[in-house]
Amino acid sequence: MRLVATDISKRYGGTVALDRVSFDVQAGEVHALVGENGAGKSTLLKVLAAVEQRDSGTAALDGTDFAPRSLRQAEAAGVAHVFQELNVNRSVGIAENVFLGRLAEFRRFGLLNTRRLRSAAQAVLDELGADIAVDRDIGSLDLGQLKIVEVARALAIRPSIIFFDESTAFLNNREVRMLLAVIDRLRSQGIGIAFVSHHLNEVFEIADRLTVLKDGGLVGTYPAADIGEAKLHELMVGRGGEEGLFPGFGGSPAAATPALEITGLRIDGGVGPIDLSVGRGRIVGIGGLKGSGGDAILSALTGMSRIAGGSIRLDGTPYRPAGPAAAWAHGVAYLPGDRTGEGLIPEFAVDENLTLAVRPGRWGFSDRRRHKEMSGAAIDTLRIKTPTADTPCSSLSGGNMQKVVLGKCLAGRPTLLLLNNPTRGVDIGAKAEIYRVIRRLADDGIAVLMVSEDLPELLGLSDQVLITRKGDISQVFPEHENPSEEEAVRWML
Amino acid sequence: MDAVGDDKQRPAVPTIERVRALFPILLLAGLCLYFALQSERFLTIPNGLIVLQQSVVLLVAALGMTFVIVNGSIDLSVGSVVALSALVAAATSAELGAFAILPAIAVGLVCGLLNGVIFAIGKVPSFIVTLGTMVVFRGIVLFWTRGAPVSITDFQFLGLYSGRTFDIPNSVLIAFVALVLAWIVFNYTVFGREVRAIGGGERVALLSGIKVSRVKIGVFALSGLMCGLAGLLQSSRTMAATSQLAQGLELDVIAAVVVGGTPLTGGVGKVRGTVIGVLIIAVLSNGMNMTGVDPYFQNIIKGLVLILAVFLTIDRKKIAIIK
Repeated sequence: MRLVATDISKRYGGTVALDRVSFDVQAGEVHALVGENGAGKSTLLKVLAAVEQRDSGTAALDGTDFAPRSLRQAEAAGVAHVFQELNVNRSVGIAENVFLGRLAEFRRFGLLNTRRLRSAAQAVLDELGADIAVDRDIGSLDLGQLKIVEVARALAIRPSIIFFDESTAFLNNREVRMLLAVIDRLRSQGIGIAFVSHHLNEVFEIADRLTVLKDGGLVGTYPAADIGEAKLHELMVGRGGEEGLFPGFGGSPAAATPALEITGLRIDGGVGPIDLSVGRGRIVGIGGLKGSGGDAILSALTGMSRIAGGSIRLDGTPYRPAGPAAAWAHGVAYLPGDRTGEGLIPEFAVDENLTLAVRPGRWGFSDRRRHKEMSGAAIDTLRIKTPTADTPCSSLSGGNMQKVVLGKCLAGRPTLLLLNNPTRGVDIGAKAEIYRVIRRLADDGIAVLMVSEDLPELLGLSDQVLITRKGDISQVFPEHENPSEEEAVRWML
Repeated sequence: MDAVGDDKQRPAVPTIERVRALFPILLLAGLCLYFALQSERFLTIPNGLIVLQQSVVLLVAALGMTFVIVNGSIDLSVGSVVALSALVAAATSAELGAFAILPAIAVGLVCGLLNGVIFAIGKVPSFIVTLGTMVVFRGIVLFWTRGAPVSITDFQFLGLYSGRTFDIPNSVLIAFVALVLAWIVFNYTVFGREVRAIGGGERVALLSGIKVSRVKIGVFALSGLMCGLAGLLQSSRTMAATSQLAQGLELDVIAAVVVGGTPLTGGVGKVRGTVIGVLIIAVLSNGMNMTGVDPYFQNIIKGLVLILAVFLTIDRKKIAIIK
């Protein structure tokens, strides 16, 4: 089977999302779509899977016209779509999720034939090589396993083509490996795969061919083996990649008292005792598996978790926030890991979100002038690409949304900036910009404490790296002597 | 400035969205036109004042409810708080005269604070809290009056709250002042902004340093305060407080807010919309009476208009799940 799309165009209002893009997927290959945020990768997949309707262009599946009116019709024709966000319904079981929307096929005398449903679901999961038993509690699965349940759902419709849209964005290293192995297996079964990821290393590892998109237009399609990472980067951003992704270390350490000093900190949920300190002008990165302690430290510092013991000092004075409001009042800004659920309100305007943590006012009245100044300054300095300041955030790309969250944190001129996976799901161009902003802030004297599951980010941006394991700090590396990925991972396990 | 930032052009809004935002006012205009054609007495100044007079209680209570709904919550106790405040106003009017407004508003405020504290500190869903207090507050009224009405005879009280100034009912003027204040608080204060932020995304608001519990208590206190004022106005209009007063008012209040274009999902809404929603409900009732619609049939029409209004107004793209 072979999917060929020709001259696909799509507009959203006045914005051209896709401009006469051609793309094809052959049986038994992985064809990666790469490009910056807003280049049109997701839109192309959505248009082909009929999640959105195209404005013009044609598509053919094995030579016959392919023009589904809905995702369901696309699936019936043999094209499945695995979305970026997790689409698992946790109130039903694993087997039900694999056959979600098709449970009627397992009807017997009007009732659900659970036994047949389970064995069919188990067969699909086994086919993927996933070690997941269908009778397990769905709540016990980690993100990677849940993603694989979604892949199983896609596979259960017996597709000839599967789209993977940013499927690795929310997965940790081990989970990514698991998913890539599954994709490799699907390819060997003769399924054609379209793959979108911001992580170029994943792309190079798995893809047979690459199609580069830029600003909704097609740059070109290349065999993956013929193109290097530097060349690809140049094609994506349209300029030479002489500037590295990471801005490098900060200047010589400030000898004065550290901005943040934690000693013997114990946090509810069995984390600690933790000792760490962050000096002004320093970026300290905490690595570790999810739930191993990094998140808990940030949550204690923002007043979201109860502190069971130990001491925290902020600029030398004791600090124990009662809640996030107290943390912000002390100059502690927090950038959460979940952009749209915790960082900003997607339906609200860019400027509303930028001053959400400060809420400038006088005598209780909103200070519109200061609000405009602050949000305008943030849009300029962070180079947030938005049509106007009162555009809803939901119409921005992921990278620009993340800049809005960062802008929100900076509006209050914090002394300590807490970052939870600051560039999750952000394209490489915006990543580099965000890293530069963070480094500049540190150079201006802000102390930065970052938790990151993205190893290159952890090792590339931090002045000092700490690793947590099962609620304790397992290793503290000397400043400016960051470990290799292998060594960092060794301390995590 | 960035090249994109300078661009003042807004993205083209599809026409359907514009019509949708205008729908409540079109509906109001359509109703007025229809009733004006049916009855020549409808579009007259005296009848206009009657409509306004009939809508003051609903409007004042709906102003408070707008904050509650935009905050993402619901207040089912408004009818009972109005009844309790009306009773307090009636019972104290003989002693305090016009100053009976103070205990009436104070009682409303206390009821609202109670709702807010149980909801925000006790972390009980507002639907349940106010469903319970709705019964409790109504129970207090019943227990106190034993079902008998408490009439108001104080001349000063009635003169101030149900008199007229330059031919305009005082109650309408008072409601107008409340409207202006609510509009200012909603649109121009930090509190108003925080209310919207919590309704738009409570976790985001919390993590951005908004004192969510305090704002929630404030919202319910405000709703209670408005109900206190509404109770006072209601008692002066009927010159008595009865145990059945304002029964079921909460449904009209919620309907007015929603018909005005404020979705129950929270985060967005307009005081202006609520005013239009209140007028739609008031005009509909008044117009149906004027044109002689069978009173036993009127509720059926009211209910259908409510569904139709929301059906046409609600922007389904912004709300993934309609509960």
